[in-house]
Amino acid sequence: MSDKLPVIEDQPEICRSVDAGERSVWTRVMNRFADHCRARSLFVLHYCTGCGAIELPPTITSRFDMERVGVSPMVTPRQADILLITGYLSIKTLKRVILSYEQMQSPKYVIGFGSCTINGGMYWNSYATVKRLDQYIPADLFIAGCMPRPEAVQQVLLKLMEDIDAGKANGWQDYYNNYDRYLGNQQALFGESWHTPTDVIAEAKHYGYLADGTMGRHTDLLLKRADYALDRVPEDYPERGKNERRLP
Amino acid sequence: MMSYVADFIFMPLIAFVTGLGLVLMARRVRAKIERRVGPPVLQPIYDIVKLYAKKTQISHGIMHDLSIMMLLGGFITAEIFLPVPGFDGLAGEGDLITLIYIMMVPMLGLALGVGSCANPNGSIGISRALTAMLAYDIPFIIAVTGACMAYGTTNLIEIVQIQQAGGPASWGAATMPLLAFGGLLAVHGMMGKEPFEIYIAPAEIATGPMVEMSGKYMGALFIMQCFQLYTIGVIYTTLFLGGGENWPFFLAKVFAVVFISVAVTNVYGRFKTDTMIRWMWKWPTGIALAGLALVMAN
Repeated sequence: MSDKLPVIEDQPEICRSVDAGERSVWTRVMNRFADHCRARSLFVLHYCTGCGAIELPPTITSRFDMERVGVSPMVTPRQADILLITGYLSIKTLKRVILSYEQMQSPKYVIGFGSCTINGGMYWNSYATVKRLDQYIPADLFIAGCMPRPEAVQQVLLKLMEDIDAGKANGWQDYYNNYDRYLGNQQALFGESWHTPTDVIAEAKHYGYLADGTMGRHTDLLLKRADYALDRVPEDYPERGKNERRLP
Repeated sequence: MMSYVADFIFMPLIAFVTGLGLVLMARRVRAKIERRVGPPVLQPIYDIVKLYAKKTQISHGIMHDLSIMMLLGGFITAEIFLPVPGFDGLAGEGDLITLIYIMMVPMLGLALGVGSCANPNGSIGISRALTAMLAYDIPFIIAVTGACMAYGTTNLIEIVQIQQAGGPASWGAATMPLLAFGGLLAVHGMMGKEPFEIYIAPAEIATGPMVEMSGKYMGALFIMQCFQLYTIGVIYTTLFLGGGENWPFFLAKVFAVVFISVAVTNVYGRFKTDTMIRWMWKWPTGIALAGLALVMAN
């Protein structure tokens, strides 16, 4: 690194301007405190369509008791922090997982449980199962094994808590930042008309997580589909024009 | 006027902090019964801060936002009408009947908010919750009415004074045991513990009224739970356990009332809504009516 870095004149946004809030001590202290609390209170939504579900009752109940580190089961994606995918996902259930994941509120974390979520496991040559979970939703951590024992589940929860405390578990931001890539992989499985009720791009815009990878040729397909639907809304429909987003 | 300002600030604050303790106790007792270690001491605070620190929030419209204000506002107002040691608040101005009315506000607020979520699980949950309210409120109102007749007043401060003047022998639980027992059963239903938690039913209707609540909305519900346990404990203590002479005794009584409920809740399954109404209108109502008859006979 002898000479200075080249200055790119026509791309001023390449250096992100730091807003005042990020530099203030108050914000940093509050963020640190929030991370501290986030790491110690984790509600888990168990997505138990695979065989791994059988390992979770001992993890929750008296033998291993995960409530003593602040982890408790929750039943709806709205309230949950962790989406725990136990075992294999068929292509049909992956759709439901994505719907559930998008309904969760950020910061949210995904844990892939068992080899099936890592590389397909014993279903590696099945036509109906998903081989790599992290191609479709951002997985923060995986637990290897078939089956992983409750000790392994606890270990990975403790690791996740460490990561959250250090502000490193940011898979949920990756989903906003690289939505186009994730959506592309989803479309490869489910077809071009695949869409979810959650408007991820609008969320990314609203909360300031818009990046270069948020929109691309895959999200254009969403807009194309929206155009198609919008064109079929009657002219005099009162909601017409509200929240309308069309292809540029 | 200035004395009221201190009351308005400190009474809800004390209620919240005590409520955190009650929630922790409920979770710890449950853990001990299941032979677990249970959550750490600061767990209720971690949960609430975490929920308020969520970075995305889902609102289901203006009614959803307002309902949260009704929830918390209803309970905070209720705290100001409840006399505790050192603070009388508005207990001298408004009486027990005002308090009973105010305590309906949070549940109705929740119903309005859940209605705007358009989630069928939420609608089922809230209709069950309001039915449950109909079930436990009748024995509770009978117990409250009987107590008021026995004391000859609806003023909470006077009720506490009457009981404290005569010592434990003049406590409501000693002078009208049937009413106190019926009231205790109704209070158990009011807390929404098993076997009366069909409207939450996590595995069947995904926590019912709370199903669409996320982030700070859920955080508000966690705070509401603190207020709810405290309010119920304090009302029962005031009516039947002699109110508070000083803080240690007072808190011990409030914790005891909630403890009875959380200690027995774990051995039960869940009643269906119609079974619950039948049970509530048969046993607690019957016992409370018998107590009321005794009070009227004296």
